[in-house]
Amino acid sequence: MAFGQRWRRPPADADRFSAEALEFLDLLYGSAVRLTRNPEAAEDLVQDTYLKAFRARARFQPGTNLKAWLFTILHNTWRNRLRDRSRNPEVADSEAVDRAAEQGQDTVSAPPDTPESLLLAGTLSDELRTALDQVPEAFREAVWLRDVEELTYQEIAGVLDVPVGTVMSRIARGRRQLHAALVRARQTAGIERA
Amino acid sequence: MAMTCSDASVRLAAYVDGGLPADARTHLDDHLTACAACRRDLARQTEVRDLLGAAGRQTAAMPPPWLHTRIAARLAAEAAPASRPGWRTRVTAFAAAALVVLAVSAAALPVVTGRSTVVLAAQLALDHLKCFVIDGEADGGVLDVAEAEAELRDAYGWNLHVPATAGDADAQLMAVRRCLYGDGRAAHLLYRWHGAPVSLFILPGLERPDATLTVFGHEAVVWTGAGRTYVLVGAAASRDQLSRMATTLRNEAE
Repeated sequence: MAFGQRWRRPPADADRFSAEALEFLDLLYGSAVRLTRNPEAAEDLVQDTYLKAFRARARFQPGTNLKAWLFTILHNTWRNRLRDRSRNPEVADSEAVDRAAEQGQDTVSAPPDTPESLLLAGTLSDELRTALDQVPEAFREAVWLRDVEELTYQEIAGVLDVPVGTVMSRIARGRRQLHAALVRARQTAGIERA
Repeated sequence: MAMTCSDASVRLAAYVDGGLPADARTHLDDHLTACAACRRDLARQTEVRDLLGAAGRQTAAMPPPWLHTRIAARLAAEAAPASRPGWRTRVTAFAAAALVVLAVSAAALPVVTGRSTVVLAAQLALDHLKCFVIDGEADGGVLDVAEAEAELRDAYGWNLHVPATAGDADAQLMAVRRCLYGDGRAAHLLYRWHGAPVSLFILPGLERPDATLTVFGHEAVVWTGAGRTYVLVGAAASRDQLSRMATTLRNEAE
């Protein structure tokens, strides 16, 4: 069979992998925009993610979560870019991220008591997006991967390359900060309306 | 030991998500019963989780419609094996070097190859490379057998039977030409088998013992019949296939 083998069609597994992986394009792109805050950089990041995934597809274990695997590659690629760009590699270090964030928002912005149900009922996408943007990336992504992408704690630990215990505390803290940001947004809106 | 608010706060997310082990859950339940602040925190955890689950997706940016196409195309290109020029690019450097050998030794070859099958095979392997790779022969359409026989008869005065295939139904005749070898007294039949080049050389008035040789990364199968020597040449990796082709050709001729 050696004669023709270089000219054969791409193997079917490559086609199938591409098709299955591309079903998650919207989700990966949404996350890429939140990370890069720039549509072009997001396109680039997503394309890079797919190329890496495709080249490594033999290492993907069928039966495990393809979405989680793709998010892992996306976040790895993003972390590497930050590291390459930054003169100070500590910036991308997860513990440094946690320490920096801890000094800021969490303690300062304990929100006043608000009727919880009102908050949920009236929240607009724009408000939610703005509030999400105010949460430090490390916490926001942990919350996002849990509450929107519905990954398990273990999978999130893989994506973010941190221990499960850290995932747990980041999610708790991220939700708390998001809640605070939403309350602030609601109060501001109330003032503007008044 | 009683749980502190600080301990409780890091466990609340997992508690909400049902990810706490039973004993940790019991401890947290005890704390929540006694602590209003942590109960409030629990409510917020639940609320934010529900809000994101219901509305989080809508806050995400959507990719431009062409991004899917672009990435799919990029992956398809990644998956595609080397395109047609691929094998050509890889062998051209080698063939160019080989051609120097060919040019230098061409004058002496008819004499030398009369004694050495190895040199004969080497010469023809180079000719095979030259015609397919450097001259770009056989890149046109499939050649009709009658056309090929007429061309050999009219142009060179040879009455040769041209096999429609090189011993395999999938090998298509692409071209016939006079070979450089032996002052041009040999026919070169160029076939493509699943895209890969295969050459059949027919050398009138020469008899060589049967042999299968590897020369210049190519396989050459040599046999003699009816006062002619036949040499079938193809890439070395195809040795078995080439042997089968040679057997078929030989049976066909006899």
